[in-house]
Amino acid sequence: MKKAITLTVNGDRRELYVATHHSLLDVIRNELGLMGTHRGCDTGNCGACTIQVDGLAMNACLLLAVDYDGSDILTIEGVAQEGALHPVQRALVEKGGIQCGFCTPGMVMNALALLADDPHPTEADIRARLSGNLCRCTGYAKIVEAVGSVQ
Amino acid sequence: MAGRQFIGKPARRVDAADKVTGRTRYVADYQLPGMLYARCLRSEWPHAVMTHLDVSPALNVPGVAAVITSADFVDDGRFGFPVRDQYILAHERVRHVGEAIAAVAAETPEAAAAGLHAIRCELEPLPAVFESAQALAPDAPQIGPDRSDGRHPNFLHSEIVRLGDPDRALPQCPVVLDAAYSVAQQEHAYLETEGALAIPTPEGGVVVYASNQSPFINREILASVLGLPADRVRVIQAPVGGSFGGKDDLNYQASAQCAALALKSGRPVRMTFPREESMIASYKRDAMHMRVRLGALPNGDLQVCKFTGRLDSGAYASQSVFTSWRAAVHAMGAYRYEHCHVDIDCVYTNNGYAGAFRGFGNTEVCFAIEQAIDEMADALGQDPLAFRLRNCLRLGDETAFGQRLEESVGLAECLEAVRKASGWDEKRAAYARQPAGPIRRGLGVAAVFHGTSLGAEGADYAASTISVAEDYSIALTSGLTDYGTGAATVFTLIAAEELGTRPERIRLLRPDTNTSLESGPTVASRSTMLGGNAARLAAQNLRQMLDFAAASLLNCPQNRLLRVGEAYIGPSEEPATWERIVDHARSLGLILSAHGRWSAPHIHWDSQAGRGSAYIAYHFGAHVAEVTVDMRTGKTDVTGFWAAHDVGATIFPQGAMGQVYGGVAQGLGYALMEEARYEAGYLQATNFDTYLIPTAKDVPDITCILLEKPYSQGPFGAKNVAEPAMVPAAPAICNAIAHATGRRVRDLPANLERVLLGHALSHSDGGLACKIGLARPR
Ligand code: FES
Ligand code: FES
Repeated sequence: MKKAITLTVNGDRRELYVATHHSLLDVIRNELGLMGTHRGCDTGNCGACTIQVDGLAMNACLLLAVDYDGSDILTIEGVAQEGALHPVQRALVEKGGIQCGFCTPGMVMNALALLADDPHPTEADIRARLSGNLCRCTGYAKIVEAVGSVQ
Repeated sequence: MAGRQFIGKPARRVDAADKVTGRTRYVADYQLPGMLYARCLRSEWPHAVMTHLDVSPALNVPGVAAVITSADFVDDGRFGFPVRDQYILAHERVRHVGEAIAAVAAETPEAAAAGLHAIRCELEPLPAVFESAQALAPDAPQIGPDRSDGRHPNFLHSEIVRLGDPDRALPQCPVVLDAAYSVAQQEHAYLETEGALAIPTPEGGVVVYASNQSPFINREILASVLGLPADRVRVIQAPVGGSFGGKDDLNYQASAQCAALALKSGRPVRMTFPREESMIASYKRDAMHMRVRLGALPNGDLQVCKFTGRLDSGAYASQSVFTSWRAAVHAMGAYRYEHCHVDIDCVYTNNGYAGAFRGFGNTEVCFAIEQAIDEMADALGQDPLAFRLRNCLRLGDETAFGQRLEESVGLAECLEAVRKASGWDEKRAAYARQPAGPIRRGLGVAAVFHGTSLGAEGADYAASTISVAEDYSIALTSGLTDYGTGAATVFTLIAAEELGTRPERIRLLRPDTNTSLESGPTVASRSTMLGGNAARLAAQNLRQMLDFAAASLLNCPQNRLLRVGEAYIGPSEEPATWERIVDHARSLGLILSAHGRWSAPHIHWDSQAGRGSAYIAYHFGAHVAEVTVDMRTGKTDVTGFWAAHDVGATIFPQGAMGQVYGGVAQGLGYALMEEARYEAGYLQATNFDTYLIPTAKDVPDITCILLEKPYSQGPFGAKNVAEPAMVPAAPAICNAIAHATGRRVRDLPANLERVLLGHALSHSDGGLACKIGLARPR
């Protein structure tokens, strides 16, 4: 079964006709072709698919697209403005918080939400808030440092 | 380093900007017009004979375009090195749960799944073996291939090290330790699952993009199972979302399945694994049972080591022959002995199969020997770190297998470094006096040595090409893959240093069997040394042409040329830009293209004697872990970590340190939570809800110390780091647990039950999650 929905994605209004069993992740990747949002588990356990829905960081794989008709979605593609990296992105590049990069977009999306809630998180806050985003490569050291360095 | 512009200086990863903005395209992100989606039918039985397989009904399912079985490949699609015992799709028999039987390509993932359900496949279960201890029983069902030497077919391989006569010497030692240890299978848990995309070419060939580690090996397998000449098969390396040794065999199978489906349907075919399928079908770190006997003098001099290990290779050999060799060579640890015997045997079972994983045998044996060393220090009443310093290998020493260490030996320095940085002496004393109570603290140490690159395992070489493009940028290739390690940045910095150009001018092209040169496999932490040397030689060769052209343009002998940034300056002191030099070189008719190939010095290992020179050089390192253990629950938190590694020289500091942080985190997971447990052949954890890996909350602040004992043959003195960064982490943590609790956890993982009760609880959740995982579409 399919249903018409409207999403605002990275500032653009999109009319979509989506299968009722497809997740927002399916729609973002397969219908909108935005491949920066990754699928690591499809069960809400890895955070690679983290996006912002109306300003909240969420796992796109857990959300049925039809439930989010009218929502405002931000994906990694909408973060860097006119080619200029967001300070969180710049800090990740400079500190070395990136290895294979598969977790990176989800990490950025969650870190943005974290910093919007609390501009001066402690290291423990950062570790707790990012604990839903798995990274197998970096040991988190430089990710935590990068997020903490953004003022 | 004096006079160096880029080596060892702060630098950024060359691929960081694409990754942080979501522009990097992994295989699952490739979408082509007319592309089909592929899925595999996989075995639900750990051991069975195929009595009936009819795939034709799948072709009647709407949307299904092609379906294949082992009959679609040359020689039934058999492959594998050094033991050719695997198939692209199962042939006549299945030997583990999750083994691929047939593959379908369809217009949508849903149609592909429907196609699988239409296949008529009858499997008749056979008796199976799941315990490596029972694999060689006379009545054990045959899993391995037939053999002609009269040995049990489930015997796969054995490796030995021999020094002196431990059986005679051990009883004479005043202090003797005898303990058994075991490690469980570990899942790589790369965040990106496996995947491949195959595109048919008009010439009847195929182009494959794969998330693999070694594109040249993939091409070799593809050409042989498809029956195509090598020039009709092109493998292009896709960006890899983590590997750690795990992106070999299964990705080669997926590549061949996609390629065959693409050739059959005439359309591009992509296969991407859901997490459950990835976990069920992929190979793991081997499980190993080990027994260690050590003998020492009362003064603390180690005398004897007798180490036996039994490695469970599961259903197929994959890399276990090589894993068991690396395990044997490293089993006694980085210590001096008078007598040492190591015996590592590996056997087939019907568990999922074991393959390459960071540390490659050393991670497993290090867990045993480094705890045994601690237990011996305890028995002697000596401080474990001081005991290691007393016995550890130093410059000029001979290893137990008879290799004299002539250079680049930094183990004692690493031990001293972590001792100082962690506040070892004070903390050990303080924790020894801590009052009784539910929360206990402890500090543990472990050491590592780790042979660089392949060693006597195989021909050890790598090659690079380099050329100046029309736009004056430089295109560099390597046959080795950067799957997140930072190797691409290392090669770029080395070439920039040699050429005297900005790193930004250099573009590292992804490995591509049509444009890069064969360089052996991307394994064994060999990229920096092998690939780095190749890039260095290629850049030196190009530099000679540029120097020649500069001397001609500036009208002076080459030894009068100076460099200021990228520009050349001659006696006239008028700088000539890079572009002018390049233009002049071209006007002279020079083709600004060069290559470099580096082969490791020849070494010899005598496998019959169990002696020889195993590796060209060794990495050394030491870890200290600090833990708190809640004695009421068994919960262990790692609260501090110090890691010192002798890397020879640091080329890309951010990358090297990143390997250490990541390696420690993987070792922490291995120590405390990770267990890819098979029950009756069924994997018990099939996604990240049940297979737990460390999160940002589990990993403490890690202090990383890089020490540099240069190795004369390494590029700028560099050795390796990626694997050994993980190896000693788990034993350091378990030694800390023993210090905190007075109890020793000799079986991994040290989860709540093992820390609290001293043994694991029995489970019996059976194969359900595994079967559901196999059935799940997408
Ligand atoms: S893909 Fe959504 S949390 Fe893993
Ligand atoms: S960088 Fe590889 S998973 Fe995070």
